[in-house]
Amino acid sequence: MENLLYIALFAPLVSSLFAALFAQSQKNLLVGIVASLLIGVSFVASATLLLELAQNPKAIHANLMDWIVVGDMDVRFGFTVDQVTAVMMTVVTLVSTVVHIYSNYYMEHDRSYNRFFSYLSAFVFSMMVLVMSDNFLGLFIGWEGVGVCSWLLVGFWYHKKDETRDVNPSISPSWAANEAFIMNRIADLGLLVGIFMIYWNLGTLRYEEVFAHLDQLSHGLMVAIGIALFIGAMGKSAQFPLHTWLADAMEGPTPVSALIHAATMVTAGVYLVIRANPLYSTIPEVGYGIAVLGTFVAIFAASMALVNRDLKRVIAYSTLSQLGYMFAAAGLGAYWVALFHLAAHAFFKALLFLGAGNVMHAMHDELDMFKMGGLKKEMGKTFLYMGLASLALSGIYPLAGFFSKDTILEVAFNEHTYGIWFVLWLTAGMTAFYSFRQVFLVFLGDERYKKYGIHPHEAYNWVFIALAPLAILAVIFGFWKEEFMHFATQMLPVYEMSEHTHHMVWILIIVTTAIAVSGILLAYFKYAKGLKRDPKVENSFAYRLLSNQYYIPILYENAVSKPYADLSNIAWQAIDMKVVDATVDGIAKTIEKGGDVSRQAQDGNLSSYLKWLTAGLILVTLIAVASVAIK
Amino acid sequence: MSNILTVLIFFPLVAGLFGFMVNQKSIRAYGIAVAAAEFLLSLWLWMSFDTSAAGMQFVEKLPLIPEFGINYYIGVDGISLFIVIMSTLMTLIGIVALSIKENLKNMIITLLFLEVTMVGVFASLDVILFYLFWEFSLVPMLYIIGAWGGPKKLYAAVKFFIYTFAGSLVMLIGILAFAYLYHSQTGTWSFSLTDWYALLLPFDAQTWLFWAFFLGFAIKVPMFPFHTWLPYAHGQAPTVGSVILAAVLLKMGTYGFVRFSLPLFPDASVAYIVPVAIISLIMVVYTAMVAYAQKDIKQVIAYSSISHMGVIVLGTFAMNVEGIAGSVFLMLSHGIVSGALFLLVGVIYDRKHTKMMDQFGGLAYSMPTYATIFGIMTMAAVGLPLTIGFVGEYLSLAGFFKVSPVLTVIAGTSIILGAVYMLTVLKKTFFGPITHEENKHLPDLDGKELWALVPLVAIVVWLGVYPKPVLGPIDNSTKALVQLMHEKAQTDLAKQTISVSKNSAKEAK
Repeated sequence: MENLLYIALFAPLVSSLFAALFAQSQKNLLVGIVASLLIGVSFVASATLLLELAQNPKAIHANLMDWIVVGDMDVRFGFTVDQVTAVMMTVVTLVSTVVHIYSNYYMEHDRSYNRFFSYLSAFVFSMMVLVMSDNFLGLFIGWEGVGVCSWLLVGFWYHKKDETRDVNPSISPSWAANEAFIMNRIADLGLLVGIFMIYWNLGTLRYEEVFAHLDQLSHGLMVAIGIALFIGAMGKSAQFPLHTWLADAMEGPTPVSALIHAATMVTAGVYLVIRANPLYSTIPEVGYGIAVLGTFVAIFAASMALVNRDLKRVIAYSTLSQLGYMFAAAGLGAYWVALFHLAAHAFFKALLFLGAGNVMHAMHDELDMFKMGGLKKEMGKTFLYMGLASLALSGIYPLAGFFSKDTILEVAFNEHTYGIWFVLWLTAGMTAFYSFRQVFLVFLGDERYKKYGIHPHEAYNWVFIALAPLAILAVIFGFWKEEFMHFATQMLPVYEMSEHTHHMVWILIIVTTAIAVSGILLAYFKYAKGLKRDPKVENSFAYRLLSNQYYIPILYENAVSKPYADLSNIAWQAIDMKVVDATVDGIAKTIEKGGDVSRQAQDGNLSSYLKWLTAGLILVTLIAVASVAIK
Repeated sequence: MSNILTVLIFFPLVAGLFGFMVNQKSIRAYGIAVAAAEFLLSLWLWMSFDTSAAGMQFVEKLPLIPEFGINYYIGVDGISLFIVIMSTLMTLIGIVALSIKENLKNMIITLLFLEVTMVGVFASLDVILFYLFWEFSLVPMLYIIGAWGGPKKLYAAVKFFIYTFAGSLVMLIGILAFAYLYHSQTGTWSFSLTDWYALLLPFDAQTWLFWAFFLGFAIKVPMFPFHTWLPYAHGQAPTVGSVILAAVLLKMGTYGFVRFSLPLFPDASVAYIVPVAIISLIMVVYTAMVAYAQKDIKQVIAYSSISHMGVIVLGTFAMNVEGIAGSVFLMLSHGIVSGALFLLVGVIYDRKHTKMMDQFGGLAYSMPTYATIFGIMTMAAVGLPLTIGFVGEYLSLAGFFKVSPVLTVIAGTSIILGAVYMLTVLKKTFFGPITHEENKHLPDLDGKELWALVPLVAIVVWLGVYPKPVLGPIDNSTKALVQLMHEKAQTDLAKQTISVSKNSAKEAK
C-alpha cells in the first residue's frame, strides 16, 4: 500500500522533472505523452487506494523522512491516505489526467509546450502533497507549492504587455499572476499563525495528535485557531474579500483555469476546513460565520456572472459561487456534503472550462460572448459537453449537480438557517440563468462572429474521447451519493437530517428545481433567439456595478496598491534619504567641521599657543576650585 | 590533524602572500585553486566534526599575552561551523564568478585576506582575537569598494568603514569594561569567551554592556536606523564585494548577538526584547517598503537584505531553541540566497552596464536559464517551502511567536511584502514584451556564471528539502546555549522567558 501511495505522490514529480529537461527545446510530443501517462499512473494508484479503502477502511500511513527537527519541533514528511484524502487524490488526479491529455490539443502550437507540461505536472505534485500530508506544515508545503505553480501558469504567456482595465480587466498575465500570489500570501500569513498557535499549545503539528488533544485548548484559543486557519482557506479558495485574483487568473491558458482555478487548487481551502472538522465541530459559531460568508460569496459572485461578457470570467465567477456553496455546507457541519459537492463540481466545472477552451480555439482566442453565437452548427460536440456541464451546474436532475447542490440546500434548511437557505436557493436560480445565458450566447442565435471574419472549427475527435470521463461523471456521479456518504463518513462526522426535513425533502426539491428551470427558461427567452442589446440596461447603475465587479479591483488599487507605492516612495526618499541618512552625514560633517575649527589652534604661531595655554590653565583652575567648592 | 582550524584560518593568508609572486595570467586559476582548497578544508572540518556534541570542537589555545589572559583561542561549535563553511563557499563562488579585468591579482589577494578575517571572526573564542579579526575584516572590504567600485566609490567605502568602525569602538569599550569586571570579580584577567560565560553580572552592568555590544553589532547587521551605509556600499561595490558583504560580513553582527549578547547578558537580553523587537519590525516592514520603491535591482536586493536581517534578529531574541536555531539557519540561507541574487544582478550589469529595471523587461525570452535561476532564488528569498529560505524564516517567526504573537504577526508581513518587491522585480525585468531592442540578443549565462550559480541552486533545494545535516548540529549547540542562558539567568523574567527545550532538559545531566 505504501508503494501505491508513493507512486501516486511522486509520478507527477517525475513527470514535471522529465518535462523540465526539455523546457528550453523545441516542442516535443513525447513530453506531452509521457507527462499524461505519468499523471494517469498517479490516477490509477489513487483510485486503487480509494477502492482499497472502501474494502478495508483503515488509513494508510507513510513516513518518508525528517524535515524540520529543532528544539521540540519534529516535522516529518509524513503522508496519510484516509477516506478524505483518497477522494481528493482521485478527483485531483482524474481531472489532472484529462487536463494533461487535453493540453496536448490546446497547447499544440505553443512554443513553450514542454515548459507548460513541466509546470502543470509540478502543480499536480504540489496538490498531492497538500492533500496527502499528515501534518499542517506538510500541507503548507503543498499550499505554497500550488501557489507558485499557479503563479507560473497564470503568467505563462509572460510576454504580453500590461493593458488598462478597460482593454483587459486582468491587465496582463504577469500582473494577474503577481496579484494571485500576493493575495494568497496575505491569507497564508493567517494559516501560518494558526500553525504557530497549534504548535505552541499542543507541541505537535500532526493532524492525528492535534485533533486528539483538542480538549487541552481553551475555547477562545480554538476560536482563534479556527479563524486563523480559515483566513488561509479564504485566500486559496478566493473568498471575499480576497476574491479578485481568481477572475484575473483567467489570463492563464484555459487548461490551467480548468484544473487549478476551478477543479482543484481553489478547493484547497474547503479541504482544509473539512480536514480540520474536529476543530470546527467544537466551535460552531466560527462554522456559522464560515457558512454565512460562503453564502454571501455564492450570491455575490453569481451576481457578477449575470452580466459578464467574458467567456472565462463567467465560469470563474461561477466557480467562486460554487466554492461559497461548499463553505456553506462545511460551515454548517455537513462536511461530507461539502466534499461531495467539491468532487461533483470538479468534474462538471472542468468539463465546462475545457469546452470553453474549444470555443476559444475556434474563435481565435476571442473571449467576448457578444461576438459569438450560433456555434452549435460548427461545434455540435462541444455544445453537447458544455450543455451537459451547464445542466449539472444548474442542478438539474439527474445530473451530478442536482444531488450535491440540493443536499446543501437541504442542510441549510435542516439547520433552520432559513436565510442561508433562501440566498442559496436564489443563487441556484441565478446560476441556471448565467450558465445558460452563456450556452445560448455562444451556441445559439445569430452568428455574430462572421462579422469579425472568424472561421470556427471543431476540436479533434480524440479530444472528446479524452473529455468523456468528465462528461460521464457529470451525468452519473450523483447516483453514488449514498455510497459516497457511507465511505466519507467513516472519517467525517455523520450528518443526520431531521424528520421534519425528510418530510419536506420533496417540496424542497421541487422548489429548487423550479427556480433553476425558470433561470434556464429566462435565459432561453432572452438569448436563444439572438442577442438584443438594450443600452438602457447596459448603462444602468446596477449593470455597470456588476460588470465592474462592484468596483472592488479599482478600490483595491486606489486604497491599497497605490497608497502602498506612494508610502514606499516616501519611506525611501523622504525618510531614509532625507532624515536617517542625512542625520548620519550631518554628524560626520559636524565632526569634520569641528576638526577644521580646532585645527586653527595648531597654526604654528607661538603667541597663540601661549594664549591657548593660559586659557587652559584658567579653565583647569576654575574646575578645581568649583569641584572643591561643591564638595 | 589537530590544528585543522588554524590551517583553515591562515592558509588563505599564506596563499595570498604567495599570490603576489604568481603570474598575472595564472592568478585567476591560482585564486580558484586556493579558494577551492580552503573550501574543501572546511568541508573536511565538517566531516571530522562530531555532530552529536554540542560544545566547542577543534579547540586550540596558545597564550599570547598571559599577563592579561589574552590567548590564541579558537574553536567551532554547531553554530559557527556552518557560517565558516558558508564563508569559504561564498569566497570560492565569488572568485569563480569574478568578471573584473583590471587589477585582478590585487582583487584575488584581497579576497583571500578577507577570507582569513571572516573565518577568524567565526572561529575565535578569545574576545581580543575576535575583535582583531572583526576590525581587520573592514580593511579588505574598504579596498574592494574603494578600488573597484562605481562612481561614488570613495564616499561609499569611507562611509562603510567609519560607520562600522565607530560602532566597533563602542563595542571595544564594552569588551574592556567586561574584562575589568571579570578581573574585579575573579582576581584574574581573562579574555576567553568560555571564562566569560561563567561570569554572573549584576543587571545594571549587564544593561550597559548589552547596549555597548549592541551598538557594534547593530551597525554591522545593519539595524535601523544605522543601516544607511549599506545601500551605498552595495550600490558602489563590485559584484563580488556585494556577495561577500551580504552573505558573510553582515552575519558577523547577528552572530555576535548569538555568541556574545545572549549568553553574556541573558537578563539584559530578555529585558530588552521589546525595544530590539521593535527595531527589528521596523527593519522588516519599513525596509521592505523602501525596497519596493527602488528602481535599481541591486538596491532592491540590498534593502531586502536589511528586511531579512530583521527576521534573523527577531529569531535570535525569541529566547527559545526554535527561534535561535532558526535564526542561525536563516543567516546561512540568507547568505546563500542574497549572495546568489547579487551574483545574478552582476550578470546583467556585466552585459548592459546598468542595473535599472526600466532598462529591461522580457528577459525571460532572451535569457531563459538566467530567468529560471533568478526565479528560483526569488522563491527562496520569499521563503517558499522546500527552498532553503523557508526553514529559517519559519523557525524564526515560530520561535518569536512564543514571545509575542502580535509582534510576530507584524513581522510575518515579511512573507507578503517580500513577495511584493521581489515579484515586482521579476515582472519588470523578466516579463512583458522586450522594450529595448538590444535586449533581444543578450547572451544567456556563460560557463563561468553557471559554475558559480548552479551549486547555489543545488544547495537551495537540498537544504530546503533536507535541512537536517545542518540543522541538527545547530540544534544541538543551540540547546546547550539556551540551557546555559537559563542557568545563568537571575531575574524571574529571564528565567521564565528563556525556554529550554524539553528534549535538552532530558539530556542534561
